[in-house]
Amino acid sequence: MASSEGKIPLIINGKRTDGRDMEDLRNLRIEVGVIPEADGSAFVEWGGNKIVCGVYGPRECIPRHGASPYHALIKCRYMMSPFASLEEHSRSGPSRRSTELSKVIREVFENLIIAEKFPNTQIDVYIDVLQADGGTRTASVTAAAVALANAGIPMKDMVASVAVGKAGGMLAIDLNKLEDNFGQSDVPFAISHRDRKVLLLQMDGLLTRDEVIQMLEMAERGCDKVHEVQADALKRFYEKGEEEAVKW
Amino acid sequence: MPGEKIAEGRINAPNTFFDGASTYAAVIGMVDDEGRYIPLENRYRPAVGDVVVGMVTDVRHAGYEVDLNLPQGGFIPTRDIRLTLQLGDFVICRVKTVNEVGDVDLGEVRRLPKGKIIEFPSAKVPRLIGKKSSMIGLLKDYTGGDIMVGNNGYVWMSERSDMPLLLKAIKMIERKAHKSGLTDEMANFLKSQVGDRPRTPTGGESEEGMEPGSAEGETASEPGYRNEQSGSSGENYGQQ
Repeated sequence: MASSEGKIPLIINGKRTDGRDMEDLRNLRIEVGVIPEADGSAFVEWGGNKIVCGVYGPRECIPRHGASPYHALIKCRYMMSPFASLEEHSRSGPSRRSTELSKVIREVFENLIIAEKFPNTQIDVYIDVLQADGGTRTASVTAAAVALANAGIPMKDMVASVAVGKAGGMLAIDLNKLEDNFGQSDVPFAISHRDRKVLLLQMDGLLTRDEVIQMLEMAERGCDKVHEVQADALKRFYEKGEEEAVKW
Repeated sequence: MPGEKIAEGRINAPNTFFDGASTYAAVIGMVDDEGRYIPLENRYRPAVGDVVVGMVTDVRHAGYEVDLNLPQGGFIPTRDIRLTLQLGDFVICRVKTVNEVGDVDLGEVRRLPKGKIIEFPSAKVPRLIGKKSSMIGLLKDYTGGDIMVGNNGYVWMSERSDMPLLLKAIKMIERKAHKSGLTDEMANFLKSQVGDRPRTPTGGESEEGMEPGSAEGETASEPGYRNEQSGSSGENYGQQ
């Protein structure tokens, strides 16, 4: 929000509003297999964000005439609950914002899923934001990657996502809502783990060329940290056995 | 984890892919002591020769449509079979052909007697069958009924078996599929539930040309059976 830029001090004594350093992520917790009925699912709690993701399929394509005989369609539905944040979200139908987010998240996974193996089918990815605190799209990508792995859908790579932004004149990773709304810039990244491809990059606000390059480096380090949490969550789930994992 | 390197060079294993230099995992799985890749989750993709269990969902002039737990159903052409099937019949058959878009034609059809079908993760089917059908044999002995496992992840169980116990046992296998020594653990569990004496399957189990003997042969020759080595792979998580 350009109009309210700089009105709130976002950096005090070199610390951010929630006491973090520039390169610190918020607390990230991931649980796998939270929806027993889904083929794969994940719950992500990232700072104040709470997101549930369920993956279904490959299953019969609806409508049938939309199916492709060459690959599975990936369908993604991001939805923010009406009670997700302090702002008014009215009812939870598709909005301009959620349509955009569904699209960018879908495009991340269209690059990863080996969809040619499942012709004439669709893979549904449902993402529900229960509580929002800035950076829901990055948390959604992170959750969806884990849920897809849990569903056993073949993918070329895992993806982790984190936003880097400029708040109070300094580059900071994983912006919270305050920094997002009152900072200068917000740049969400999604980077695949193995081949380091940037699969999601959006920019809000003005940045210099050097800042963007610096941000990319920060995002890579951040994504590695997120990936570790993802790997750990999946490992914990499969070591525990499914039944116990649901009782979180 | 998907995208994690399994080996240098090409390895022909399901659920992996090759990028020109190395082979990578495509689904979550683990590598056992001998460097074999065992998936923990996968989506069943039909292959010619697979044994599948399904339910008749549509009766048409040309044949029967069968639910196989796949996006597309399987098809049994009437001209290939002699028996008449009805809506809701359970069948076990072999995959005859699979075309490019995943349509499945089935052959070697056999109707299964009354019972129940449950879903089981297809990645874990080898563990449910066990080495040389040891696990399935154990379950049959202790629950007193017949069990058929399809590669597609459908498990048919005879109505004669001790259903609650069998369901419990199968759930347990599903949960502990990646642990070693599962067959022994199962044997102990079943013993504690039933008592020492295995219940011998009751006579007269066979119905309509279905002999328990041949059923056993069918199960044992399933392709899933190839993966019988997974016994000693419980400790390999570190390599993930």
